[in-house]
Amino acid sequence: MEWLNILIARLRGLLRREAILQDIEEEMRLHVEMEAQTNIERGMKPSDAQAMALRSFGNLGRVKDLAFEIRGGGFMDTIWRDLRYGARMLTKNPGFTVIAVVTLALGIGANTAIFSVVNAVLLRPLPYDESDRLVILNEHTQQFGTMSVSWPDFVDWRAQQTVFDRIGVYNFGNYNLTGSGAPEQLQAAHASADLFATLRAKAALGRTFTDDEDRPGAALSVILSHELWRRRFGGNPNILNQTITLDAGLYTVVGVMPPNFLFPNTPDMWVPVGPLSTQPAWQNRGSHPGLTAIGRLKAGASLEQARAAMNTIAARLEQQYPTNRGVRVQMTPMLETYVGDVSRALWVLLGAVGVVLLIACVNVANLLLARATLRQREMAVRAALGASRWRVTRQLLTESSLLALMGGALGLLLAKLCIKLILIVNPDSIPRADEINLDGRVLTFTLAVSLLTGIIFGIAPAVQTSRVDVQAMLKETARSMTGGRRWLRHILVITEIALTLVLLVGAGLLLRSFYRLQQSNLGFGAEHVLSFRVNLPPQKYPGEQQKINFFHQVMENLRSQPGVQEVAIASRAPLGNIGQWQPQFLPDGQPLPESGQAPSMEATVVSPAYFRALAIPLLRGRYFAEQDNRLDVREETLQGLTPAQRLMAGLKVMIVDEEFARRHWPNEDAVGKRVLFGRGPSAPVATVVGVVGRVKLDGPTEDSDRVQGYFPYLQVPANAMTFTVKTAVEPEGLIAAARQQVLTTDSEQPISQIRTFTQMRAAAVAPQRLNLLLLGLFAAVALLLALVGIYGVMSYAVTQRTHEIGLRMALGAQRSDVLKLMIRVGMTLALAGVLLGLGGALALTRLMKTLLFSVSATDPLTFAVVTFLLTGVALLACIVPALRAMKVDPMVALRFD
Amino acid sequence: MTKLKADLLQGTLDMLILKALSLGPLHGYGVIQRIRQMSDEMLKVEQGSLYPALYRIEQRGWVSSKWGTNETGRKAKFYMLTKAGQKQLTAEEESCDLPALAIAKVRMVT
Repeated sequence: MEWLNILIARLRGLLRREAILQDIEEEMRLHVEMEAQTNIERGMKPSDAQAMALRSFGNLGRVKDLAFEIRGGGFMDTIWRDLRYGARMLTKNPGFTVIAVVTLALGIGANTAIFSVVNAVLLRPLPYDESDRLVILNEHTQQFGTMSVSWPDFVDWRAQQTVFDRIGVYNFGNYNLTGSGAPEQLQAAHASADLFATLRAKAALGRTFTDDEDRPGAALSVILSHELWRRRFGGNPNILNQTITLDAGLYTVVGVMPPNFLFPNTPDMWVPVGPLSTQPAWQNRGSHPGLTAIGRLKAGASLEQARAAMNTIAARLEQQYPTNRGVRVQMTPMLETYVGDVSRALWVLLGAVGVVLLIACVNVANLLLARATLRQREMAVRAALGASRWRVTRQLLTESSLLALMGGALGLLLAKLCIKLILIVNPDSIPRADEINLDGRVLTFTLAVSLLTGIIFGIAPAVQTSRVDVQAMLKETARSMTGGRRWLRHILVITEIALTLVLLVGAGLLLRSFYRLQQSNLGFGAEHVLSFRVNLPPQKYPGEQQKINFFHQVMENLRSQPGVQEVAIASRAPLGNIGQWQPQFLPDGQPLPESGQAPSMEATVVSPAYFRALAIPLLRGRYFAEQDNRLDVREETLQGLTPAQRLMAGLKVMIVDEEFARRHWPNEDAVGKRVLFGRGPSAPVATVVGVVGRVKLDGPTEDSDRVQGYFPYLQVPANAMTFTVKTAVEPEGLIAAARQQVLTTDSEQPISQIRTFTQMRAAAVAPQRLNLLLLGLFAAVALLLALVGIYGVMSYAVTQRTHEIGLRMALGAQRSDVLKLMIRVGMTLALAGVLLGLGGALALTRLMKTLLFSVSATDPLTFAVVTFLLTGVALLACIVPALRAMKVDPMVALRFD
Repeated sequence: MTKLKADLLQGTLDMLILKALSLGPLHGYGVIQRIRQMSDEMLKVEQGSLYPALYRIEQRGWVSSKWGTNETGRKAKFYMLTKAGQKQLTAEEESCDLPALAIAKVRMVT
């Protein structure tokens, strides 16, 4: 408790400084007077008595100092006084202070902004209970890589596993909501009951699914998302037990989730898996209907143990079922699945922004060093008055910290702005973007960085400044003292230039990479194409002919619209993220590959006009035509088939991409060859009628290895198709017409995912664009800072050398010689910096290799351009001071001491 | 003087002051007087060392102070023993031999 008393006393001492000084003063005085009184009583004369009393007291001043040391604010008082002194010094030099603070704010602010992104995306746990125990499970084979899970496998996993508390499964689907307002297509997540239990998520209203609802034949129920409930149903508290119509089926609302529960992928609603598990795609162990499993590790179970355990189960299943040959379990911690792609980019950005801060520190350090000369006199006086070197250094460091804290405060504001900007420009490239804010950890980071910055840029100048040669001071030849400082400033500038070069190279590489990305050939024409998705509810369109009729009608109507050049449909449009289908196939007459697994292809069902609409070139054979239909398929043959089998029953022809032809019929004409989809006599067979160019299905950076194939829509009519409308005018103008045409054909049919290809293409490269913007911004700031830095140092050098210049001119040097001298001085520094920077860049850019697209990390063109740019800027920064040097009047200079 | 000795002496001075005040409140000058009385004129505390010591023990909460008037009507600051100080004094008295120390002439230099 004593320390508490002392602390309180210190605080009191801090706040009541004057009062305490007076109190001590008075008490001492009265003491001396009492002693004097005693002396008088002993017979001394009054004047002697006082003097005697004072002498016997000892060193009054010293005692008072000691007393104040005990009673005063202690170290807090010292810091307070240092702060006040520092603040006064800074306000006396507003120009310097403003430049320093702004420079620091740029550096610290940028760091805070990026760190807050890193914090929200990589460091903060996901918003689920103990989210570090959650893992995502997929299936995996050597040949095909990662695959989704099959339902029978999941059921066996769930029954046999011992390493998870709970394990659940989900996939996605679309449903048309009709009945209460405009028809709308909704995204749904099919969830097993234990999905909610795994996440430990509770409903805000009503309940989550029960295990009963996992069984086939269960009543149709649905859980609404908070957003859907609010938007579509007005937040009606009586929504429970009401029914809504989804895909013409009646679903009972049993619950509403809280606003922040968005798993998986922000669906509009959740539907239980029970009713779906009867579908052949689910029942078939070899088929993988896009299911993903998520499990919560038991306490004490490590990821490795779980992986081993699950793979044991997978091996057991492999023994039992031929479909599971080579199938293993892939487990990824949940956070990694969200952020895996961006973590590298984020760390690179954080590194870059750290470099910017270093450059800012260098600039401010140089500023301080320059000011040091001006403060020589002040320092000498303080030294003469007895201030220890440590005391002075400490006070100077306090000043630096004050500058840094002010820079930090301004930097916070800049960071807030920067974050807002990032989110406006590019919300989708950053996962968990909604969680980015300036929370406690970020603020602590800013404070720590500010203080550290203050020390970094402050320490060298503080040590330098406090070094005082009193003799030289008294002789007033101030300028001759700067010899020792020059090399320090030069080293700082060289470092600054080197760091700037590294950043510029990084930004340059990204720029080149992005340009290549933009220019890259996608294999199809992405200009002026509008796309939107239509999902026909199976209950409403059970027959193949109904679907064909619907789409035919809409396509005809759209074709007659003004401004429309071509209309087509595709089950999966390039750049869209939906409708992927990868059936396995075998070219007729060829054996299975060694692995025993038939290869799979990216399959798209298209209408005949598709290739024309997207300008996909025909290399051999022909496109699809109206005659490629299923009119000769008789209804009797379709009896007893599953919906999937019915669909494929009409397949007779297909078109393959050039890679397909090259890979499977290397030296022959692919046209006329047959391809089997399945085994046995009733397996669908398609004859190749044409070969087309290969297309980038996922975007410019795609590297899928699978071959591509197309089926004619008229033979394989699917429910969910994307319309691709080639327009003569801007595609956006036709959105209303498109929606109208669909509604005219079926008033309850909504359209969704309305986008132009140009938008989708831009979205596909959005992450790269954001990286480029940010790194480019940092490089630009660094360049600006370097420019200012070089200018400052050169400017100062000229002032320092005024005497020398005057001397040279007096001895016969021309003005142009002086100019050349100064430029040579400056450019030597710049060149040294550039060389150092090149070395650094060569070493460091390999860290960003994964961010680059078809550009090498040591791309010579980029390096060359950046070197020229930086050298040019350095030259620019040198010229003005050099010109000033030229104008020196030797008469004045020689007298200038 | 080694530091250890200085600490020891400082502690001793604190105890002497507490002891002096245990007999009643005093101002600084009075404390010096009383210590001389208590030690039969053997201990003469330096005036310069008194006040730092007084302030130190006041900070630690062993004494409290109040302005008042002394016997001659002059303004003076009086110091009183607190409960904590009393406790400290009793503890010290039980553990160390105050009279034995009183034999040495205590003279501290600032």
